[in-house]
Amino acid sequence: MTTEMREAEPTAAGLPPRGSARQKMDFRSGNEAAALAARDVGFHVMGYFPITPSTEVAESLSKMHADGDHEIVMIAGDGEHGAAGICYGAALGGGRVLNATSSQGLLYSLEQLPVQAGTRVPMVLNIAARTVSGPLDIRGDHSDIYFALNTGWIILLARDPQAVYDMNFAAVKIGEHPDVRLPVIVCYDGFFTSHQKRRIQIFDDLDPIKAFLGVRPHFPTPLDFDHPTTFGPYMNDPDLINNKVQLWEAMEAARRVIPEVLTELEGLTGRHYPLLDEYRMDGADAAVILMNSAAETAKEAVDLFRDRGEKVGVISPNVLRPFPTHEFRAALRNVKAATIGDRADSYGADGGNLSLEVRAAIQQDKANETVVASRIYGLGGKDFRASDAQTFIQLAIDTAQAGKVAEAFAYHGATAGVATRVGPVGLPPITGKDIPRGMAMVNKDPVTGALSVELAPVWEMTKVPSRLAPGHGACPGCGIVPTLHQVGRVLEGDVVMLFQTGCAMVTTTGYPATAHRVNYVHNLFQNGAATLSGLVEMYWERVRRGELPKPVEDPTFVMVSGDGGMDIGMGAALGAAHRNHKMMILEYDNQGYMNTGAQLSYSTPIGNRTSTSEIGKVDSGKRYHHKDTAQIFAACNVPYVFTASEGFPEDLMRKVAKAQYYAKREGLVYGKILSFCPLNWRTPDDGAAPVLQAAIDTCFFPLYEVDHGHTTITYDPDAMGRRRPATDWLKQMGKTRHLLTNGNSELELRLQAEVDRRWSRLKAMHANPEL
Amino acid sequence: MTSQAVSRPAASGILPNAAATFEIRFESIGGLGAHGAGQILATAAVLRLGLNGASFSSYGSEKKGSPVRSFVRLTPSEAPIRTSEPVEMPDCLVVFHAALIRNPTTFAGIKADGTVILNAPAGPLPELKVLPRTVRVFRVDAGVIALQEKSRPNAVLLGTLCEAFPFLDGEIVREALSEEFAGKHPEAVASNDRAFRRGQTEVEVVTGIGEAVGALPAARSEPAWGFTTQPEGGIVMAPGSTFWNDLSMSRVGWMPVLDTEKCVHCGTCDLVCPDLCLVWGDGEPGAKYLRVLQGVDYRYCKGCLRCVESCPTGALAKTAETPGLADSLRVPLFPEFIK
Repeated sequence: MTTEMREAEPTAAGLPPRGSARQKMDFRSGNEAAALAARDVGFHVMGYFPITPSTEVAESLSKMHADGDHEIVMIAGDGEHGAAGICYGAALGGGRVLNATSSQGLLYSLEQLPVQAGTRVPMVLNIAARTVSGPLDIRGDHSDIYFALNTGWIILLARDPQAVYDMNFAAVKIGEHPDVRLPVIVCYDGFFTSHQKRRIQIFDDLDPIKAFLGVRPHFPTPLDFDHPTTFGPYMNDPDLINNKVQLWEAMEAARRVIPEVLTELEGLTGRHYPLLDEYRMDGADAAVILMNSAAETAKEAVDLFRDRGEKVGVISPNVLRPFPTHEFRAALRNVKAATIGDRADSYGADGGNLSLEVRAAIQQDKANETVVASRIYGLGGKDFRASDAQTFIQLAIDTAQAGKVAEAFAYHGATAGVATRVGPVGLPPITGKDIPRGMAMVNKDPVTGALSVELAPVWEMTKVPSRLAPGHGACPGCGIVPTLHQVGRVLEGDVVMLFQTGCAMVTTTGYPATAHRVNYVHNLFQNGAATLSGLVEMYWERVRRGELPKPVEDPTFVMVSGDGGMDIGMGAALGAAHRNHKMMILEYDNQGYMNTGAQLSYSTPIGNRTSTSEIGKVDSGKRYHHKDTAQIFAACNVPYVFTASEGFPEDLMRKVAKAQYYAKREGLVYGKILSFCPLNWRTPDDGAAPVLQAAIDTCFFPLYEVDHGHTTITYDPDAMGRRRPATDWLKQMGKTRHLLTNGNSELELRLQAEVDRRWSRLKAMHANPEL
Repeated sequence: MTSQAVSRPAASGILPNAAATFEIRFESIGGLGAHGAGQILATAAVLRLGLNGASFSSYGSEKKGSPVRSFVRLTPSEAPIRTSEPVEMPDCLVVFHAALIRNPTTFAGIKADGTVILNAPAGPLPELKVLPRTVRVFRVDAGVIALQEKSRPNAVLLGTLCEAFPFLDGEIVREALSEEFAGKHPEAVASNDRAFRRGQTEVEVVTGIGEAVGALPAARSEPAWGFTTQPEGGIVMAPGSTFWNDLSMSRVGWMPVLDTEKCVHCGTCDLVCPDLCLVWGDGEPGAKYLRVLQGVDYRYCKGCLRCVESCPTGALAKTAETPGLADSLRVPLFPEFIK
């Protein structure tokens, strides 16, 4: 293994290339660069699930697919775990496969990663690195990618959008090399790189890159019917270690293959990627070692120090797995001191993973006497500025001069706080005692056992203090808050609210403020139902043990989720339903992942335009029907299931009152509530009433309840003479207006037929208590 | 404060100071199009004007109607752009909403010889006294022009920006704007064109309004709590503390105004208001109504007008927001905390 000593040239990315392939200039973000590379690779399948900040990769590809610019089969998983499974299956099928994720998405799919490496199934995964919860933070650091270090995947790093584009081609070729045969991650910094547009060069002629990539080599596949093969046998102790030796050998082979592939790619692009990027390290006494975008920022600072005659440089890896051990040893051999910055801590290890591994590498090099200071910086998206880089460089210079490190490990850039400064003052809390009773009187018929609800006049309900304070960050016209407000009008007593990740969560709890005036919990996107199950059962157990006083009235446990949360969280929610905990699950259904920019959810109707079901010359929106979540819960035989809409407040409030009655006495209740989203439905902010009315009058969103298995339609547009064709609803929204054009009549008819079919079934169930 | 006509030397594609970086910060509200404006401008600068550039925005969980910042960094073609840090010391600030000038961080870091492009109607601007005295201010009534032309303020402000900086060739940037919309929204091209051109011409250049000397200091937000004071576990123990937020900047020209004579206090509006900003109280003893809608706390109203749409009597009316109107009509929801 020779050491790459060539210095990375300090030239601007995107300048006219010197490579042999014809290229053209573009101006793109890292996510867009990943999508363009995917288009140019021509992957067979992309399995994905939206998560900030990587979602734009799928969005850009959806736009390009709609316009016929590529033919990658785009499959939106039910969550990242499902998306990773889709990718694994597809990759096992012998074609080229792509995924893109971040943060919780990587962690949720993490268990797929070692399986994929251990069973030697190549694919490419783009990681727009973002901090991991909790508390939830959507911005960039390296705490997610560090979790992937032990998975057996090759990890390429991309410091800017140009590198994102280039590394995606290298990733395909490296992973498919027969001596390697491993899946490959391309990791770039969330927001700093994923969302920052820069000048880049892209291929203007795909023939050279097609020749570079060749066809995917044949590996055993379950689609080879002449050679039936068992994939994924059960393998115990005498054998598994040997599988891992092979995996290690593949990693070792990658040490040879990666420079070969990057050199071959350089011939096409003119862009040089050594395993270790060494900037102005010539004769350097002191160095800073950083990953990705921060290293680029540090180059600016190094220039300033070099101008002053200080011998300093920046070292940053372009490859993290296999770790460039030899290269680090060579680069640091004459360096007296280095500051190693990690954008994530390995808590309790006195350094982040980069720091630990560099220290381990040089510790075994007898010729190396570099003194190292380890620093944690830039967590949760905190900017790393040139001034921070200057601090790191000065620390390295001071350490070099002293010959020893004053403080071996520290956090850089944290705020101590001022004891005299108090945080925001809150409003008085809202307890059960503060809530007037009787806004919805639930009466049980002594003979039939049926519940009926008598509502107080709406004006009287204004006496009920809102459990949610104003000042939240929901969009103008948002239907989620009216939904929650209507729910709150009739919910009595103490409540514990749990929100799954989504618009309602992020807009009501931006630290250090909260809009909630009652107890509130957020855990993860997908496991709110499990979390609340545990909380409910702990309540009852602690009451039983006498640790909590048995109150006059038990609290009500309410989970609130968007329709996206009920995709990724379906398993946990159905588990809770089958266990029949005493809790409510309320879903505000605005028909998409609106929190992350309006990607399709399974509740998005067919033909709807979303940012991952775009419309164009080829595509006309979502390709399959909306999920019938209420019927899924009805099949769990829980006490009560309902549908409602904020456009029909009195119907909604009656159902919520019944739901609370059952949730406190019998078990789990579920309600799906159609909520307005003017931004992403593309309607005026004040357009809720007509569009919700139309959704219901067209029977797209029927209002009904299933009470102990008996279905009752609570608003029947047929009987009221208000039934309208689906087009009356579709024409009101920018996301569906294209369905009324001639070319899309088939989609519109399919939606109408599905609406009619479900409505007919519902009417039959309404008419027949046995159904 | 003096006004003067705009002169237009042509030096397309060459930065005012050829050796330096030219940095623009857009101060805006989500939904006004600052992010899009930055992207269109930077794309044109890189692909059409031969500069190197970067374009990005501040990202958080903020939704439509919340403050956002967008950044454009330009350098000569051969100079690398390596840093990804936000623009702290801008050469040019583009302020998308007049209400933002009350926010002390809006002008933070503006250079002494910097330029402010301001979307504001005619009238005195005492808030601009904080600016350096050597700053140029270009004022344009982008909101009104955008409404009249069925465009968006960003098209107008891009026009004004190009007018202020001839190296940003107006014709070329306008072409880039047109091409951006030509594919998916061809109907918007002509209106954006008109809005852009009016942004170039209907400009008032204000000089001598600032009183500060030298560049303004950069501002970095300090967290309320640090690691010695933040409650362990990231919890928030101050219920409902979002009520300190002021969201009035989210409104884009319209507000609901209550006519108490017409109101029958039915409560319908209360069921549809997303901003929880309607103020209710008990009626006078013996009066007709037991509960009374007293008005709107405009601190929280984002101007969606769902209340107006729902009102059965027309008591809540869609009203153009003029300066000071919301302050004069505001009924505080929490007078014990915020008068």
